[in-house]
Amino acid sequence: MPPLASFFLRRLASALPVLGVVLIGGFLLLEAASGDAVDSYVARSGALDAEQMAQLRTEWGLDQGPLYRFKAYASALVQGDLGWSTAFERPVGTVILERLPVTLLLMGCATALAFFLGSLLGVIAGARPGSIGDRVLSIGSLALYAIPGFWLGLVLIVIFAVDLRWLPIGGIETIASGKSGLARLGDIAVHLVLPVASLAMVYLALYLRLMRDRMSEIWRDPFVKALEARGIARRRIVWHHVARNAVLPVVTMLGLQAAAMLGGSVVVESVFAIPGFGRLAAEAVARRDTPLLLGVILCSAITVIIANLLVDLAYGKLDPRVRAGR
Amino acid sequence: MILWRQLNPEGRAGAVLLATLALMALLAPLIAPGDPLALAGEPMLRPFASASHPLGTDRLGRDVLSGLLYGTRTTLLVAFFSAAVSLSVGSAVGTLAGFLGGIADTVLMRITEAFQTVPGFLLALAAISVTGPSIPTMIFAISLGTWTQAARVTRAEVLSLRERDFVAAARTLGMRPLEIAFREILPNAFGPTASLAAISVAAAILIEAALSFLGFGDPNRVTWGSMIAEGRTVLRAAPYLSIVPGLALVVTVLSVHLLGRGLSKTERLQP
Amino acid sequence: MTEPSVRIRNLSVDYGDTVALSDVSLQIARGGRLALIGESGSGKSTLAMAIAGMLPRQAHVSGSIEFPDLDRNATPGRKPKLGKDIGVLFQDPGGSLDPVMKIGDQIAEVIMTHQGMGWISARVRAAELLDRVRIPKALSRLNNYPHEFSGGQKQRIALAAALAGHPSLLIADEPTSALDTVVQWHIVNLLDELVRESGLTLLFVTHDIALASERADKIAVLYRGKLVESGPSARVLGKPEHPYTKALIGAHISLETPRGRRLAEINGDDLV
Repeated sequence: MPPLASFFLRRLASALPVLGVVLIGGFLLLEAASGDAVDSYVARSGALDAEQMAQLRTEWGLDQGPLYRFKAYASALVQGDLGWSTAFERPVGTVILERLPVTLLLMGCATALAFFLGSLLGVIAGARPGSIGDRVLSIGSLALYAIPGFWLGLVLIVIFAVDLRWLPIGGIETIASGKSGLARLGDIAVHLVLPVASLAMVYLALYLRLMRDRMSEIWRDPFVKALEARGIARRRIVWHHVARNAVLPVVTMLGLQAAAMLGGSVVVESVFAIPGFGRLAAEAVARRDTPLLLGVILCSAITVIIANLLVDLAYGKLDPRVRAGR
Repeated sequence: MILWRQLNPEGRAGAVLLATLALMALLAPLIAPGDPLALAGEPMLRPFASASHPLGTDRLGRDVLSGLLYGTRTTLLVAFFSAAVSLSVGSAVGTLAGFLGGIADTVLMRITEAFQTVPGFLLALAAISVTGPSIPTMIFAISLGTWTQAARVTRAEVLSLRERDFVAAARTLGMRPLEIAFREILPNAFGPTASLAAISVAAAILIEAALSFLGFGDPNRVTWGSMIAEGRTVLRAAPYLSIVPGLALVVTVLSVHLLGRGLSKTERLQP
Repeated sequence: MTEPSVRIRNLSVDYGDTVALSDVSLQIARGGRLALIGESGSGKSTLAMAIAGMLPRQAHVSGSIEFPDLDRNATPGRKPKLGKDIGVLFQDPGGSLDPVMKIGDQIAEVIMTHQGMGWISARVRAAELLDRVRIPKALSRLNNYPHEFSGGQKQRIALAAALAGHPSLLIADEPTSALDTVVQWHIVNLLDELVRESGLTLLFVTHDIALASERADKIAVLYRGKLVESGPSARVLGKPEHPYTKALIGAHISLETPRGRRLAEINGDDLV
């Protein structure tokens, strides 16, 4: 087997127990929620009398013990059946798959912005620890780190969409614009600017600080003195050596922050009325749609696991010591 | 006072700000112009326009300054208890996992990992959807997503501590394993865990605000998040209704971070 | 007598209250091998770093360090360029290399900086240098990372990087004291060979009096920041004038230490 494929399989296998725990937690959530599948069936297809409901419960095995119900729930999940969304009157899986791409796009753009701009500014701050530029960036990042994304979104809307009218106020694209191809992509990009900025800023601040702090440690590493002794230009030492070494923990942090960012997209999507996966979670709670909420939780766990896997792959590419050990 | 002298200027600024906020929360009934939920005057009064409503009124004529002051109570209450719960639960789980080892460790760490895999905000949403919104359920819901970090840090610390001399001494003295874990090891492992306090408090403030913003907060209490949401409906006409409570949030979180950084000598613990 | 490679006049270095070097005057002959000996804190490393121009910013320096060779072929009084005029080899072989860069690139970047070569020819040159420092199968190992080499090999690679800019003076600060005896011996032989082949001037700092006596033409002895004695190795070791030098040699002989044992381990505490 090619090493990459075997790495993937091994990682997925090690994620199975974690998914198992999430599954059990989800089942407990379903049990704790008021009302069962029959109640929601009644809610969408009209009145049944008590006798009919009891009959249906027997049919669906809901009168059996919790162990039986868990088995039924788990085997449905394994077959890819996430259940029926009572709020959307469609299978949960379909609803989620419709909403997921937008959120992945939003998160991808926000991660890219936070990582590149954050580490770039981190390098500028970390190039000369203690300098004025460093202090300004450090204090700025601390302030940025304290700003809630959803509030930042509202402020950006007030400035750029309401006052200046430069950017759309919300949504993911102009409705019924009839645009296609590049024009549509451009339209989506324009709609993404503000939500991506609001979601990314906290992480930008985090990566900036991490990069800066790690760099100021690496400057004390003896190999930097050796590089200076070889007459390597300072600019090259900053970018090719110190920053290159300092980026490794930032990449690790990308994986750790995947879950937090997915959580952040719930609020940001609500602020910008983006029909995404995050807002689906809020809708599921607001409309008491427990199967949908459960589906959202399971899918977000899988998304986070895959994101971490990708980060680990990237880390292996960046750190030769890890590559050798694998 | 000794602590004060050890703090750097950043930490002192944070401490002063937090103390002011705590004072505002405690004295809210005395200094607020009125009941934050009562319709106190003309709706949509601009800030500084009226002496009886210094920061103006919202869409329904509720006093903004009162809301802001009472909101401090909710924010600080929820943040403090969420952080306390998540740190104590996390360090208890971490101590057990690290001290017991073996299968118990594996199971506990798998559970911790599972909690880390699901976004904390989604966990909070799910919990609220089951329990309904109130202060205690909010604290419970927020802690669900934030205890894992403390568990990991404590476990790592316990693993390094459990072979030390004083633990061996406790064994010879005949202390029971759990007694050793919680009376000898946990207090010693708590240092690094406590340095997570600032991060936990800040995270709790932000999660609480986001939950209230989405309308999942206690409807009978004023929170900054619900004020922002309320102001959002008139964002074009009166943006300050959303901006002012948001600024309060930023100042609070910032002062927590400043104090946290000042307290932890090693800057890296505080990203 | 030709011009020396380095001429030091009345050099003093202090860090505020602590004096690291006081009033040191010394010459290093072109193509010569000078050993700086003394125990920890004697100022020998400070002297080496002062010559390299690598003292920390807070150091106060007075006196002069001249490089007559540089004056002759360029503008007079120009400062030597690190890497191009002076190569430095440090004690810790692991700490001399960037852990996440291919060793070929680490050597090539020195060549590109000082020789103005393109990347491809610099890599070829890097392979030649690795070959010269006896890294087996040099060409195929250009793409390896530092952690894939042993301590001794890392020190050879660091040496290749230090020599990549064709410096005329090599300063080696305890280059072998972090390595075990056999590896030490190989590195020292290699240094010897390079000095003979290319007419390099070598200044090495060491604890090891045996090493100094075998490999240096001249020895300078530092004690508490002062130069107490200097001259040809045979003279300094055979007829030491200063009591400290006598003590150094005495301690070495009386204990019959195996060659290569560090001096400071034997007598550091008695003398200070």
